Amino acid sequence: MTVYSLFSFLLALAVTLWSSPVSASSDYHEQLFLQPLPQSSLLASFNFRGNTSQQSFDNQHFQYFPRALGQILQHAHTKELHLRFSTGRWDAESWGPRPWNGSKEGGTGVELWAWIDAADDEEAFAKWITLTQSLSGLFCASLNFVDSTRTTRPVVSFEPTGDHPKVDGLHLLHGTLPGEVVCTENLTPFLKLLPCKGKAGISTLFDGHKLFDAAWQSMSVDMRPICPSDGDCIVQIEQTVDMVLDIERSKRPRSNPIPRPVPNEQLLCDTSKPYNSHDTCYPLEKASGNAWSLQEVFGRTLNGVCPLADSDEQQSVCLRVPHERQVFHSEGAVEQKKADGFTRCFSLSSSQPFDLSIPEQAVQTEVALEEPVLHAERTIVGHGQERGGMRIIFGNPSKTTDVDFILFESLPWYLRPYIHTLQATITGPDGVPREVPASELVTGTFYRPAIDRERGTQLELALSVPAASTVTLTYDFEKAILRYNEYPPDANRGFNVAPAVIRILNAPDSAPIYIRSTSLLLPLPTPDFSMPYNVIILTSTVIALAFGTVFNILVRRVVSVDEAAALGAQSLKGRILGKLVAIRDRIKKKETKVE
Amino acid sequence: MALKSAIRNLRNNPQLLFVRLPNILSFLCIVVGVVWLLLLPLNDYSRQTYISENALLPGQVHAYFTGSEQNIFRGYKKEIQALIQEGPAGLKVATQKYEYTSAGIGYQGENVYGIIHAPRGDATEAIVLVAAWKTADDELNLNGVTLALTLARYFKRWSLWSKDIIFVFPPDSKTGTQAWIDAYHDLHPATVQPLPLKSGALQGALVIEYPFENHFHTLHIVYDGVNGQLPNLDLFNTAVAIAGGQMGIGANLQEMWKHDDSYQDRLKTILRGMTKQGLGYATGAHSSFMPYHIDAITLQPKGEGWEDEMALGRTIESLCRSLNNLLEHLHQSFFFYLLMQSNRFVSIGTYLPSAMLIAGNFTIMAIALWMRTGYYSDSKPGVSAGSDTPKSKSEKPSGTVTEKEVTESKLNGSTVAERVLALPLTLVSGLHLIGLVPLWIFNTIFHQYFTAATYIFVGVDVVLPLILAALLSNGLGISRPIVPQQYLLIKSFALLLLGLSLSTLATLNFSLSFMIGLLCAPLTFITRIQGAAAVRYPISVLGLALLNLLSPPAVLIGVCWYTGVPIETVLTQAAFGWDVWGMWTQVVVWCVWWPAWLIGCVLLGSSMF
Repeated sequence: MTVYSLFSFLLALAVTLWSSPVSASSDYHEQLFLQPLPQSSLLASFNFRGNTSQQSFDNQHFQYFPRALGQILQHAHTKELHLRFSTGRWDAESWGPRPWNGSKEGGTGVELWAWIDAADDEEAFAKWITLTQSLSGLFCASLNFVDSTRTTRPVVSFEPTGDHPKVDGLHLLHGTLPGEVVCTENLTPFLKLLPCKGKAGISTLFDGHKLFDAAWQSMSVDMRPICPSDGDCIVQIEQTVDMVLDIERSKRPRSNPIPRPVPNEQLLCDTSKPYNSHDTCYPLEKASGNAWSLQEVFGRTLNGVCPLADSDEQQSVCLRVPHERQVFHSEGAVEQKKADGFTRCFSLSSSQPFDLSIPEQAVQTEVALEEPVLHAERTIVGHGQERGGMRIIFGNPSKTTDVDFILFESLPWYLRPYIHTLQATITGPDGVPREVPASELVTGTFYRPAIDRERGTQLELALSVPAASTVTLTYDFEKAILRYNEYPPDANRGFNVAPAVIRILNAPDSAPIYIRSTSLLLPLPTPDFSMPYNVIILTSTVIALAFGTVFNILVRRVVSVDEAAALGAQSLKGRILGKLVAIRDRIKKKETKVE
Repeated sequence: MALKSAIRNLRNNPQLLFVRLPNILSFLCIVVGVVWLLLLPLNDYSRQTYISENALLPGQVHAYFTGSEQNIFRGYKKEIQALIQEGPAGLKVATQKYEYTSAGIGYQGENVYGIIHAPRGDATEAIVLVAAWKTADDELNLNGVTLALTLARYFKRWSLWSKDIIFVFPPDSKTGTQAWIDAYHDLHPATVQPLPLKSGALQGALVIEYPFENHFHTLHIVYDGVNGQLPNLDLFNTAVAIAGGQMGIGANLQEMWKHDDSYQDRLKTILRGMTKQGLGYATGAHSSFMPYHIDAITLQPKGEGWEDEMALGRTIESLCRSLNNLLEHLHQSFFFYLLMQSNRFVSIGTYLPSAMLIAGNFTIMAIALWMRTGYYSDSKPGVSAGSDTPKSKSEKPSGTVTEKEVTESKLNGSTVAERVLALPLTLVSGLHLIGLVPLWIFNTIFHQYFTAATYIFVGVDVVLPLILAALLSNGLGISRPIVPQQYLLIKSFALLLLGLSLSTLATLNFSLSFMIGLLCAPLTFITRIQGAAAVRYPISVLGLALLNLLSPPAVLIGVCWYTGVPIETVLTQAAFGWDVWGMWTQVVVWCVWWPAWLIGCVLLGSSMF
């Protein structure tokens, strides 16, 4: 039985889109894929794609391309743009490979990379700043904090996905904000970019409460020009929302969201246990698939179709469960089962709301999940305020093929890596770790060292992991001491280090596979911030005391009693004399000045 | 005027200035240091505890761990009783094997741990819940392990976690967590396996111990870490606030089961805490976390009452929720404190002078001796010519200082003497280095020889100072015979080092510094006895006998006899601490205390030759 996963399906779709000449110069598509994943999870993948001809784009004639974004891109001379908002982490161990092969997701927080048309690096950077500032306003994200220290210029990790007539003047700039918390304020502007703006079609399912309660969630905006060999160039915008919802959790009603212990009689117990009784229960995990419906999981039903979407392609909702599984859908929609035995798509009626419902059912076949091509884990090791180490583990689960990939790290300047300490340990199928020189595995290195307070470290390594092996890369780093005003308000939390981006090179023809590690928290030496306050108080007191005494000594004259009496008696005469002397001095000074 | 004349008197009276005054000052320092400690339990010198980190919000959440969860608890318990290790689904589970060897005893085991990924979390932070199979007292922690498993299943349902929660099930409380936490930071020895599964930076750790079946009455909170390190006071306070305020369970500390808040009980609690801190051993599975700046406590239900395992579970749930609220690593409250009651403490600013004064007494004496060696004490007539101070007990000129030198200094009108530094410096630094020998021996030999080694060392301590004293007094065969000034210099350097080490130590481990300072206090006042042989010999022999009672091995034997713990157990534990926990109490004993004590004995012993 051949099993294609949803991801290959998505990939195939993406490839077709790339290769096939686009017929209409101006069109709009939207599609929703649903796939239940192990451990009561549900992957929902929303895709919205709009095309505009290059000509109308240049003439500011926007139809499916959002005007707000289009004008920003034109102003910043941006030819290709990729913007990602992500929270949570993809659990590859349970959920298999990433949707879209990871090409539509970013690292935790916000990630942005763009190809900018500019004469030189300075101009490109100036335009990049314009772009980030504008996008920051558009998406309510702190993208304006992408400054020179957070901007890198990757050399081999990213390649343009669009067709660019001239590549020479294009500059790739990449920035990340690993600490950015993605939430509803980013979703609203995202929805506004859609032609149907969340009022009709699949985008009606977006509910901030559910979307941001997902175990993993990623929003992306991609803009690129596509130039078919025969025909005019078009500008394509593709927006994607992928999320993994916990079905159990999503089904909890809004009125009672607390997962209280269930009543005793509702407990699912293993009755085969000898001790099973009214007060003792060994819990059973549900063997059969969970029951769920769109209404339950998303909190609302799908409100018809977006009237702007292509009329000839109505199958906007696809579900990936075995065909033997019962699926109920609301009236007006037409179900069509695909030949692969797992996928079924629904053509929606334009006027009626649509809902899907899957009852609980014991099934024989399961949708098999592919093994991811590469496992990657990155952690900070070591302990202390001064030094630390980075450990990156790559596991190649394949028994036969090696994996070649590029590791891209952009490190903040206050993390100073020692590249000479780069070491590799390789654990073969026999399970015995042995140290090898890093040069044996690293086939290429691009390293751009950091400059304090100006730019971060950029490190791109081309690596290869043999079949059925695990490679551990380690390097040491030093932690910089910041100036007191460079610490954020929550200094003791630590500093976010952007996730590493891994680009797998194995298939040169097909779309690239991307993996991102989790972001890291780097504890830096942090001063006790109440201390400066204490020091200021103390020094002020000391200075006040010292000043008082010194001033007193300088001003006060110590005289004996009889002298004091003489002084008092002389006071009037002395004063007059003093005045006289003062006047005389003034005249004399004037004279000298005149002379 | 009175002050002026007093100072003038002092200046004209070097005997008072350099000999008697330092003695008085040092003695005062020691007395004040001890009295200071005794004042701490009073209300005026201690403070009520309070929560400094507002994000903790202890007890502000409702704990829902009740009802049918108890059935599952019972179910898991039956399973664990049948010794089937199977955790609830949804956790990432991994194992880690480890092996340690210390004093000829091998320790091995396998840690099992699981991680609940925080929904929407990004693996940057984590909380640790530890339930060891064996408690610190080596009892089977059946309810504790079951509770941790039930909580794991229960916590999985909540989406509010901002940090990952790691459940660790080490086989025992001594080695397991140490192996795990070392490997978590990749600082483990070769005999410990690396961890296959990791999360982010650890923000706090809770250890559950519930080794008995009946319902409990109070919660005993253990907080001492290795080398006397303590968790942030906020964590302890949160636990007390949640147990007492939210759950209505009383909290105990330092095994003070009946605490009536009296002066005696407060002092007793402080002293118990100080003993544990001073010895610096790991008091439970939580202790291993402290060196990595991860705050951790152990919760032990105690007594006979009506609180059941679900109440403990709710306490832990509420504590986890508080830790989950944290935006930053715990840093607000105190890391250095002495607790005297679950809601009263003294902070480092208040208690530190106590140990500092005791350490300072050595420094005062050392400086006084240094200054004294700069003068010829026996050329007083030259110094205080024409002064009115009656020299009632003028010292006899020492035979070794030749009359010629004295007359020379008189002639020059100079009272400054040249110090002969080579021998004192060599001796003091040499003896401190010799301290490495017992340190190595007591951490390396097999455990069955520990008792014998201790008794042998008592003998060595009797003989060694006498041999050294004899060698010194009769010249080492290579140099000129030693002069009295050098004895004073030896003492000065020894005390200077002792004072320096102890005052530094006081900021790190107050209790250890305080205890060693008290045990070393006689060394300040010991000097080479001069005079007629009939007086010298009995006094020095008596002094040596008394000093030998205060030698490190003698004190160890005494304490073991008093507490009824075998010497072998203590030393095995100490060697284990050195090898596994990274405990450095022995370094202080053998490289600070023992050399200083040895030099004191040598000085006293030299009066016999």
